[in-house]
Amino acid sequence: MKTTISRSLIGAAAAAVLSTAAVAEVESADPIKLTLHDWSGQLINTQIMGAILEEAGYNIEYVQADYIAQFAGLKTGDLSLAMEIWATTGQEALDEAVASGNVVNAGETGLNAIEEWWYPLYMKERCPGLPDWTALQNCAEAFATAETAPKGRYVGGPVTWGGFDEERVEALSLDFEVVHAGTDAALFAELESAYQREAPVILWVYVPHWAPAKYEGEFVEFPPYSAECYNDPSVGLNPNAAYDCGKPRGPIWKAAWAGFADKWPGAFSAVQAYTLTNDEMSAMVAAVDIEGQSIDDVVDAWMDDNEARWMGWIGQ
Amino acid sequence: MAENIKLACRNVWKLYGPRAAEFLKANPNADLEQVRQAGFVPAVRGANVDVRDGEIFVIMGLSGSGKSTLVRCMSRLIEPTAGALFFEGHDLRKASEKALIDIRRHKMGMVFQHFALLPHLTVLENVAFPLTIQGQTKAKAAARAAEVIELVGLGGREHYYPRALSGGQQQRVGIARSLAVEPELWFLDEPFSALDPLIRREMQDEFLRLQAMLKKTIVFITHDFDEAIRLADRIAIMKDGAIIQVATPEELVMNPASDYVEEFTRHVPRDKVISVGAVMQKGAEGAGEGLRMEGKIADIAEAVVSANAPQMVVDSAGKPVGAIDPETVINVLIGRVR
Amino acid sequence: MERMFKPSILVFAALFAATWLLAKFGGAWFESPALAWLMEYPKSWVLPLKDYVSAAMKWLVEDANFGLFTFTEFTRAIAWLIEQPYEFVRAVLATGFMDGVGRRAEQIVPPLSWIAVTAAVVALGHYAKSWGLAAIVGLAFLYLAVFGQWESAMITLASVVIAVPFGVVGGLMLGLLTYRHKAFEAVLKPILDLMQTIPVFAYLVPILFMFGFGPVSALVATVIYAMPPMARITTLALQNVDPEIVDFGKMTGCTQRQMTWKILVPSALSGLMVGVNQVIMLSLNMVIIASMIGAGGLGFDVLSSLRRLNIGGGFEAGIAIVVLAIALDRLSQALAERSTTYAPAPAKTGLFVRYKRSGVVAVILIATMALGFFIPALQTYPEGAELSTGAFWTESVKYLNINYFDQFEAVKIFFLNNFLLPIKRFFLGIPWPWAIAMLTLIGWKFGGWKLGLMNLIMATFIAATGMWEKAMITVYLCGASVIIASVIGIPIGIWAALSPRAGRVIGVVIDTLQTLPSFVYLIPVVMLFRIGDFTAMIAIVAYALVPAVRYAAHGVRHVSAELIEAGVVSGCTKWQILLKIRLPLALPEILLGINQTIMLALSMLVITALVGTRDLGQEVYIALTKADTGRGLVAGFAIAFIAIMADRVISASARKAKARYGLD
Repeated sequence: MKTTISRSLIGAAAAAVLSTAAVAEVESADPIKLTLHDWSGQLINTQIMGAILEEAGYNIEYVQADYIAQFAGLKTGDLSLAMEIWATTGQEALDEAVASGNVVNAGETGLNAIEEWWYPLYMKERCPGLPDWTALQNCAEAFATAETAPKGRYVGGPVTWGGFDEERVEALSLDFEVVHAGTDAALFAELESAYQREAPVILWVYVPHWAPAKYEGEFVEFPPYSAECYNDPSVGLNPNAAYDCGKPRGPIWKAAWAGFADKWPGAFSAVQAYTLTNDEMSAMVAAVDIEGQSIDDVVDAWMDDNEARWMGWIGQ
Repeated sequence: MAENIKLACRNVWKLYGPRAAEFLKANPNADLEQVRQAGFVPAVRGANVDVRDGEIFVIMGLSGSGKSTLVRCMSRLIEPTAGALFFEGHDLRKASEKALIDIRRHKMGMVFQHFALLPHLTVLENVAFPLTIQGQTKAKAAARAAEVIELVGLGGREHYYPRALSGGQQQRVGIARSLAVEPELWFLDEPFSALDPLIRREMQDEFLRLQAMLKKTIVFITHDFDEAIRLADRIAIMKDGAIIQVATPEELVMNPASDYVEEFTRHVPRDKVISVGAVMQKGAEGAGEGLRMEGKIADIAEAVVSANAPQMVVDSAGKPVGAIDPETVINVLIGRVR
Repeated sequence: MERMFKPSILVFAALFAATWLLAKFGGAWFESPALAWLMEYPKSWVLPLKDYVSAAMKWLVEDANFGLFTFTEFTRAIAWLIEQPYEFVRAVLATGFMDGVGRRAEQIVPPLSWIAVTAAVVALGHYAKSWGLAAIVGLAFLYLAVFGQWESAMITLASVVIAVPFGVVGGLMLGLLTYRHKAFEAVLKPILDLMQTIPVFAYLVPILFMFGFGPVSALVATVIYAMPPMARITTLALQNVDPEIVDFGKMTGCTQRQMTWKILVPSALSGLMVGVNQVIMLSLNMVIIASMIGAGGLGFDVLSSLRRLNIGGGFEAGIAIVVLAIALDRLSQALAERSTTYAPAPAKTGLFVRYKRSGVVAVILIATMALGFFIPALQTYPEGAELSTGAFWTESVKYLNINYFDQFEAVKIFFLNNFLLPIKRFFLGIPWPWAIAMLTLIGWKFGGWKLGLMNLIMATFIAATGMWEKAMITVYLCGASVIIASVIGIPIGIWAALSPRAGRVIGVVIDTLQTLPSFVYLIPVVMLFRIGDFTAMIAIVAYALVPAVRYAAHGVRHVSAELIEAGVVSGCTKWQILLKIRLPLALPEILLGINQTIMLALSMLVITALVGTRDLGQEVYIALTKADTGRGLVAGFAIAFIAIMADRVISASARKAKARYGLD
């Protein structure tokens, strides 16, 4: 079974649900409804998109929605646009929705998702050979805790994220026990705790995220992902097991209601044109989550600094 | 001859338990043992009562005797299991909900043992409450309420809340409230039982004073035999749900229907119950200006004993009917007469 | 006659021993394929109930039609109706009235200034009780402003302001119906039981489908959660109205409506106000969950801080919730008392004298609003003057983590090996048919055949829906936590009852534990104890401790003074009075406390799923993140059934204890 992942609980943020007279001539004054989830990157991404569309004269409404549950809304037109569908976690749901004919893939955001085993830099000395995964075969004990010794302890994401880490440990004969955090807050609390004490830790980290900016560390380099590796046991290092490779990486997609392009054609071309880079996003996420700036301020700053860029996207 | 009957109960039953009505249909004359055997709790058994216009009809019984249930059956607060009720000749049990509400609003009043005042309303609002329920305007209701409050001697306390009043005062509010609608039939359910003995006495006097003025038809419940004797025109004695005797206080004392009744009457001061006519020597001659035959012995004892000779007794028309001698009076006073 | 057939204590001891032996040594037997079904409920036997529920939900949302309008249109219309007053109150308290959308929006009317709101609650405090209360609530609101929690707190307050009337009116109506129609009670009672025991997360998904994404769904969930106590208290309060007053109403010729609104409700007011207080407190308990589906406010601050591992920020927002809760609690209690102490009416006076407080508040309101345009500090508390304790909390946790982690670890390992794991093995080792039989027997012993049958049906439901193993982990985790909570809580409660000074301090701690969202301490606990069952247990114990303490204190305090005097006169020492008189007589109350502890422990399960437990709570949580109505509801029902079984058995035994002492 493939993963269906919800990065978190159902989203939350202050939603301003209001409407106003549009500034410029637009195809429809009905509000375009953008979904908000609960990680900062997505909020920034969505609010930049929203700000651009407002500059173009469209009416915008933000709606909190669950990452997976939002597809139900996108199919009916209750929701218009979702700015972050991660290939790593939402591909299956997106493909299913697109296949239904009611949702369209509006292209890449320019962001690339990485999800993988990750360790703080100080563990490199204790387990020479990292970041190559084979090093883990020899120094599992360096990652052990009293409960798991002599096995290493790997903190995986919430079970809803899938990830096939138990299978990976098995297929690659890693002497690790997989412990699942219940939420991403708990996951990173483990990291924070260990990092403060420079204690052994290895866990599931994803980017774009603030953690790699706050903590020094690296991703483990597993054999690269391929669909065959996941589906076909004979492919990969272990001829008898699937999942003998790393986790998939891939773009973060934009997904829209199928009727979007007809109702707001101008907006749709702006949405398609919109791209950011991983570096830009990481900097903004760090500004919010580490420096404590407000999302509004970060979004405003981006809008001011990149006026030419987004003016081009809205065709002015 | 027959005075006007205000309220009549005909063979009223109240049994608690499943399918009580069916049981009664099958055993219309079930006795106490049978009822209990069948698993029912007997509250009222075959009660027959005629309450006459303008009288104080007291229902007396110990706790658990069914007196409270009976009075609630009379007003259909409790639905009787069987039997008939006639209020002013109309079958009360056949009255619709609407008709019943109407009768209660305009023709009945009730006073409760624990006053049943509404805590969130002032004295004035409490008394005006039944009037506002009828739909009277606030001003009209308040005016009438103020009148009744004055009548029960609570003038000046209109704006107090019930909890600021003493028990006796609270019951005056209860009385005023039940009188506000000028009911024709007035139920009082142990109205003075919750009061201290001294206050109780005072309230009884007050009650008699009011009745002398208002001449209501009254059903008065009490467990206190002395109170019953003091207030009643007629008394019904209840035991185990059944009425065992209905009589005037004097008849009760003179001719108790059973040992049970006699037990109550034993310590009743005879002189206050027995009338001159009941013990006089009929046809005998005596001195004096003539004592009224319906007067109580207690009222004439002093005169007869100090005169130390038989005194003449007259009827209401003033015609001599007999005489009473000091010995008879003394026998009554020391309880030698039964 | 019947008594003789009831198994005696000895039989039960023997059965328990058999269960234990079975769990401990039966493992090898059940490995043979022929017997494996006894250990693990076969997958092929699982009733796909959750699929049916999901399908039914899908049909409701997508296809159900009432002719003129669809089901979805109907629910969305309700959502719209709720949204209007909410948006208004939110604008008044927190956001102000805006013109325009998003970044272009401009405030046309500002929200009430912090000074005006604080003045209003101070006036309300004085009106409700005294200057003392006014000072308490004033300080509480001042705290919110000074510590930078104002806007979030006002958003939370707006949710409470809207949710509470719905909860109160809804509960009142249900309570009235139950009071009037006995038949309705039979239907409503189990529904209320379920409303209180099914975790909110379990019905969040269907609510989201029906009422849309956003604050309205949060409000609906809050109302569902907060309403049952109001309904119960209403019925109880109405039933407790003096029967003479009811008779009086009838004798006055009241119609049913007059009876209800002029006689019953006013007479039951003091009882009803207890319910209102409950609704307020439960609504505040919901702020975290509500913020997860878009209610914003303090709950959102807690969540978003902790997601960033800003422990201090989470703590501050959490404490702000506690402060707000305490202010609202005290205020509503005082108002409740005031509404039933009928003081003599004041003499007629001038308009301003009579409405002095309102007048002053109105003046402050207008003044701050007008002056606020020139001096912003009067409108919004200046950011520069805000204080923060956030760093202190963060540093404290860091200090503990760095210096004491090993000690924590040792304690944890000890508990795991000697306490948690043996219990876990015991529960997971019982063959499910045996367990169902035992539950049925226990029900029969304590509550007669009806309870036995109920246990049989509920336990079978859990097995038949394929939830058995998760249910056993649930029972193990809750059981272990309840044991610890009782061991800690009951002595503390007794201490609080015996020493008034200790009682006051303990009271404050307990109030805080009850209203502080558990998420606030969940993440620090994860840092100190890592992910796992021990961490979950600490979180459950911290929350479920409260009723154990409260009921024990109440039970011990309210032993009749005459009995204590009798003890003193017979020459009992203090300890003898405690052990021979107070404790035995407080036992029924203590049992009820344990009962409540179990209920709260079960309600915490969904929260502990956030740190990675593998029980029914996790099942509910997974269903939530996957928007799977059926899966969530079925797991929710399983949790509710465990709660109801525990509740019935314990209440039945508490009743027996009470009857034995003649305390009824």
